[in-house]
Amino acid sequence: MRLLIDIAIALVIAAVLGLGTAWYAVDRGPLFGGLTAGPWKAWPSAGSPNADPYAIARLARSGEVPLGAGEGLAFTARTDQEGRPLEGRCTYRLDGVTPAARLWTLTAYDGGGRLMANAARRTGFHSREILRRQDGSFAIGVSDSVQPGNWLPIATGGAFSLVFRLYDTPLTTGGSVSDAMMPRIEREACR
Amino acid sequence: MRNTVLFVLGGLMLAGIIHIVTVLMVPYFATNDAWAEMRRFGRAETFHVLPLAEAGAEPLAGLDPRMLQAVCRFTLENGPVRITASLPADFWSIAIFDRRGRNAYSINDRAADGEELDLVVITPVQMAQLRQDPPEALENAIVIELPIGEGLALLRVFVADETLLPHARAALETADCAGTL
Repeated sequence: MRLLIDIAIALVIAAVLGLGTAWYAVDRGPLFGGLTAGPWKAWPSAGSPNADPYAIARLARSGEVPLGAGEGLAFTARTDQEGRPLEGRCTYRLDGVTPAARLWTLTAYDGGGRLMANAARRTGFHSREILRRQDGSFAIGVSDSVQPGNWLPIATGGAFSLVFRLYDTPLTTGGSVSDAMMPRIEREACR
Repeated sequence: MRNTVLFVLGGLMLAGIIHIVTVLMVPYFATNDAWAEMRRFGRAETFHVLPLAEAGAEPLAGLDPRMLQAVCRFTLENGPVRITASLPADFWSIAIFDRRGRNAYSINDRAADGEELDLVVITPVQMAQLRQDPPEALENAIVIELPIGEGLALLRVFVADETLLPHARAALETADCAGTL
């Protein structure tokens, strides 16, 4: 009897921990090998022939087509600067600069990773259409209601994520990124 | 008591094995990988221009809505594949993926040196056979040796605003991936 209980304990631990950690690592993205700048995360190796098994599993599950290392690098943010999840009922302010890149686009996705429908029919920004300050930095208001200046509309309610795609950037061939190199995501008012 | 501790340790080790096996097996059981999705767009050996990603209508997950894309599934079993296109755009890039969705190669317009894309995908075995008497096509093309049987090519062209969409579409329609050497 004692033996059976011990075996059951071992099997439960094995199944729960093994499957649980596998699911978490595949769903949330690899725990290592990434670039982090504040809330922004990117996995440069995901788009190269030496992608790790976690990145490959994640891409296979999502059906996502990653940017190749020769194309660019995508940074994803699911939280604001303080680590709170991004929520559609809040207004956020992206402020700062981007790492060197020939071109970049910013896109908002819903909690399931799909594009967000919104009244303004605008799915994102790119680097050539944005209003900048004289020093080249910029601010983008992310909100479900109209914002002055650069406005990235999102759907009301629910979690969302922001994806910054840098095209033709030296970051894909190595190099590091510091917090100051990516825009800060500050939460403003919430409803 | 000591026995239980041993079983817990055994359980932890087994958890590690299950973790590794699960992660490695995921690509073989995933049914909505990019390859499966791309069957919908039509036959292999030709480029299909995908509709621009819009909310509620994304041709593939994770495509940039500010880029117009074209995909081509190809096989190297009958010989090397030559991919050509004329892409007068602000920015374009191409990525080659293997059957499992792994990125095998990618390049952008600046690295490829201009508007004309001329790429030969070839297996190392085919390359070794061709080395005796290399055809002229290999001289000017970018030659990528990949040990893969099947693959897919994804071309992206930047669309700065909607008025440039017909231009980008016309550029992608010049793309060809059935070319022989």
